[in-house]
Amino acid sequence: MKITAGYSRLKKLTNLLGPFIGLILVISIFSLMPEVSGRFLRLANLTSVATQSVIVALSALGMTLIIISGGIDLSAASNLALSCVLVAYSINLGLSPLLAALIGLVAGGLIGLANGLLITRLRLVPFIVTLGMMGIARGIAKWVARNQKIDAPLTWLNDLMVRTPHPSWLLLSPGIWLMIFLSIIMAVVLKKTVFGRRVVAIGSNELTARLCGIRTDRIKIIVYTISGLFCGLAGVMEFSRLTVGDPTVAMGLELDIIAAVVIGGGSLSGGEGSISGTLIGVFIMAFLRNGCTMMGWPNYFQEIIIGAIIIIAVALDRLRHRQD
Amino acid sequence: MSETPLLSLKKICKSFGPNLILDRVDFELRSGEVRALIGENGAGKSTLIKILSGAYHPDSGQMFISGFPYRPTGPLDGRRQGIAVIYQELNLAPHLTVEENIYLGQEESRFGFMEKKKKRLKVRELLEFLHHPEIQPGSLVKNLPVGARQVVEIIRALISQAKILVMDEPTSSLSQEDTKRLFEVIHKVKAEGVGVIYVSHFLEEVKEIADSFTVLRDGQVVGSGEMAGVSLEELIEMMIGKKLSELYPHFPHRPGEVVMSCQQVQGKKMTGAISLELREGEILGVAGLIGSGRTEFLRTIFGLDRLKEGLVIISGSLVSRLQPGTAINRGLGFLSEDRQTEGLAARMSLADNLTLGYLKPYVKNGLLNNQRQKQAASDWINRLKIKAQSPEQKIWTLSGGNQQKVALARLLHQQAKVFLLDEPTRGIDVQSKTQIYELIGRLAADNRAVIFVSSYFPELLGIGDRIAVFHRGQLVEIKPAADWTEASLMRAAITGKENNSEKNKKVIGANL
Amino acid sequence: MKKELRVIFFLACLIVFLALIGCRSDRSSKASKGTGGLKKTYQIAVIPKGTTHEYWKAVEAGAIQAAQELGVEIFWKGPQKEDDRSQQIQVLEDFISRQVDGIVLAPLDDRALVRPVDEARAEGIPVVIIDSNLQGENYLSFIATDNYKGGVMAARRLAEVMGGKGKIFLIRYLEGSASTTFREQGFLDTVTKEYPGLELLVKDQYAGTTTESAYQLTENLLSRYPQVEGIFAPNESSTFGALRALQEAGLAGKIKFVGFDSSAKLIQALKDKELDGLVLQDPVKMGYLGVKTLVDYLQGKPVEKRIDTGVTLATPENMNQPEIKSLLEPDISKYVR
Repeated sequence: MKITAGYSRLKKLTNLLGPFIGLILVISIFSLMPEVSGRFLRLANLTSVATQSVIVALSALGMTLIIISGGIDLSAASNLALSCVLVAYSINLGLSPLLAALIGLVAGGLIGLANGLLITRLRLVPFIVTLGMMGIARGIAKWVARNQKIDAPLTWLNDLMVRTPHPSWLLLSPGIWLMIFLSIIMAVVLKKTVFGRRVVAIGSNELTARLCGIRTDRIKIIVYTISGLFCGLAGVMEFSRLTVGDPTVAMGLELDIIAAVVIGGGSLSGGEGSISGTLIGVFIMAFLRNGCTMMGWPNYFQEIIIGAIIIIAVALDRLRHRQD
Repeated sequence: MSETPLLSLKKICKSFGPNLILDRVDFELRSGEVRALIGENGAGKSTLIKILSGAYHPDSGQMFISGFPYRPTGPLDGRRQGIAVIYQELNLAPHLTVEENIYLGQEESRFGFMEKKKKRLKVRELLEFLHHPEIQPGSLVKNLPVGARQVVEIIRALISQAKILVMDEPTSSLSQEDTKRLFEVIHKVKAEGVGVIYVSHFLEEVKEIADSFTVLRDGQVVGSGEMAGVSLEELIEMMIGKKLSELYPHFPHRPGEVVMSCQQVQGKKMTGAISLELREGEILGVAGLIGSGRTEFLRTIFGLDRLKEGLVIISGSLVSRLQPGTAINRGLGFLSEDRQTEGLAARMSLADNLTLGYLKPYVKNGLLNNQRQKQAASDWINRLKIKAQSPEQKIWTLSGGNQQKVALARLLHQQAKVFLLDEPTRGIDVQSKTQIYELIGRLAADNRAVIFVSSYFPELLGIGDRIAVFHRGQLVEIKPAADWTEASLMRAAITGKENNSEKNKKVIGANL
Repeated sequence: MKKELRVIFFLACLIVFLALIGCRSDRSSKASKGTGGLKKTYQIAVIPKGTTHEYWKAVEAGAIQAAQELGVEIFWKGPQKEDDRSQQIQVLEDFISRQVDGIVLAPLDDRALVRPVDEARAEGIPVVIIDSNLQGENYLSFIATDNYKGGVMAARRLAEVMGGKGKIFLIRYLEGSASTTFREQGFLDTVTKEYPGLELLVKDQYAGTTTESAYQLTENLLSRYPQVEGIFAPNESSTFGALRALQEAGLAGKIKFVGFDSSAKLIQALKDKELDGLVLQDPVKMGYLGVKTLVDYLQGKPVEKRIDTGVTLATPENMNQPEIKSLLEPDISKYVR
């Protein structure tokens, strides 16, 4: 049997279809539950799930890039918390909300830049560097916040993540639009730009990438910085949602973020992963949480389900690879 | 007396998907015999070894050990039934001691609770027996040289009371001295009545150690017999299935202007400084032993290793910041000796691998045109006769020879003027080899320059215009290929001394 | 080819599946509109701060008791990760989506939960706040222990057993947790105002959310200030963590110790006089009143804006009195496992 171009295209389709079918399955199962059917697929609930996904999705966009490049970022969630705290802090200093948001964003980018520099200059493993940075960023966040949450006056920043947007013609909250917009941008960057191809090449085989004249260190620094910026943005969104700067927010969220990428087909050994897959991963987890809560199922139940899904997703992935 | 052979294989067939890898292979081995299994890469040797070891199951055919049917369920079972395979990449745990490695996995099965002292004594005895008393049973394997590690593997096989020892390319990473000692070991083992299957590329060695031979080509046995009755040339021609004279195609070319000049180049990992010039339309062969600095030299001029001292001048202008990126822009192209871990990204597509170094032509408004990228890849697939189904096929699904062609196509695609090729023909089938020789010849005819590093002297002599010999990081001598012989190349590479005294008859040697 | 067929088969199943959903959701939405006239079981979501502390088990028991008496259905669901503000907001939103009839909430943050509660009210879902305060007034009723009073009570007890003088620790619980902050404040104010003989060695150290973190903190504090004579911890986990540290150091019973809330281990410690007092809330009552108040409102009865569930001091001396005993060991086995 010959592998034709058409066949390989079909195979590509099934690669994405796998997680997608998973998502449809999760949605279908909950829609069929008599207790919540009719409410689960209500527009209000869908926008609510979408809003809840924004924070994880934004960080996961950056994480996808990192994981494809063969790295990992354990500091993502701490970075997010730092940004969240800094936004609240800056607003309390009397800065304009826009400036405060920018500060959060830049802080995230700086943490990412520091990750990238440490990894490339000191030749340290990303796991270790970002593990350290996880503590450092969380520590700085608590320090800035003096170990408690920071209350800040309400501004337009806090309208970014509401379930029902104020000018109702927006249909969805600005946060969701931002997520959609940035996802498209990142998908294009990854698939259609030289930078994107280089990131894939580095993850696939760094030595080869170097051989092809790619300045691997520079690309890696850019990748970590971009990811940091996304975490910073996620932090701004977290502040928007919480209305307070909370240094303990998103504890352990980095694992959710990584899980989303992995469920969506990202390989921790690099070279594989896609933005669409990651988004599906984010939504699978978000719908599961939402559904389990609406059903009133206990937490341990949903933790077990999500854990199982991660393993199943990776196992299916392996199976697909073996068939190649 | 017609004794029952120790091992006999009858009509073994094995195919993977549509490819028939082994076609009705018959094979026999007597006790105390060393039989060479030779053949080109891809001839089916490694598949046959894996079937012997139990890692693969034959599709059809039968195997017998001492007349009893042998149907291993897996490598462990194969070992239990008396077949020990020593692979090229040795199978030892580097962080355990010699003794622990030897007894690994068979502590209880054979010796019960044998006392440590007794164990050590047995190991010592065997080391002595094999003339390697310098190896300490208690030293860590990672601290041993490769030759000694091999001895450890052999002792492990002896202790597990293996009747048949399969050695896959045992000398590929050994020095001549170690090779000699290994042969002594093999003689000892043989005297114990163990049958040895010796798989190797190096035909001179094979001729020295083996009693008999079996030649595989394209999955079939094309010849077998006693070693005494066959010449090296006959063996080679059996292996490649054609006359030797057809191996190196010649394309007329004439060296022109100097295109690259290296002056006192010394890289971070090089022990000496090297100066040489390369002309357009010239093929410069580089000979030298492993560790002679030839690979490091190429890596330094390509900017992969840091340049410590010296100048690299390309087309008359100095290269200032030497990095792979700038080197590529200046028209250098480098082919890594390690195709698997460095040369190619195994899980990326053929098209990606081919175009990665030079994506500029496919970018419009900052976006890549994947369609045109694939089209270009398709063109190269046709031009280099790469056997692939589509440009989107993943690299690891291609055979070694075709992978190498993709790696070469990348250099052509990035429009290199100077080709730095490090062992371009290592580990690929003879057909691809010929195609690569042809390609190099065409490059020279097209006025491009090639530096061609190889451990295999006949091919240097066959296609090089000039040959340079490296020794311990120094350039020993550089002169026209016609003035070298295989023997003088070898002498220069080993001793590091120039010599013009004897002119040996040019022999086309055999480690293809 | 086989694979292709499989994918197509899968897609076909999916389409059928989705079509089914469409039908079902149509029917059920019609049905829910039609049930207006029938007798309706109220669905009430009760959202605690966490689900693993024994304290919240007692609240759950009270809520279930009320649910059984009043014939309503309750959903008990806390944030997936204990003490995660962001996730508690999610849970609240998900119940708004489910369109429950009412929500009883123990807010993790007096500020961050304001907006989601506003959203619930905007969707016509009444919210009763229990346990901890929420800023603004956009809720039906606030049912809680007077935590400040609890702190005052603890301070007075500690002063009493120490004879009004000595060096003490205040071990705080968690930054931003309103109820414990009030207890800590009540304790602090009383000590500084009424007992000049008591000297606070430590008053700004947070024990964190787990027994383990409280244990470590206390251990570190004990080695830093060996001269300490009295300790107050403001909730169950910090009390138990500190108790473990004292037991390990062989100081239990020697250093005066007043804690907050109850559990089997703490009761044993009280019995062994390793604890000199426990300030008790009435979590069962809190859970019960939370649901009861909501149902009253739904049935059109008037409700009070602020309900105090009271604090009681248990000591080794009075712990066997029946009314104290029922607070120490509320009989919740009937309602929760």
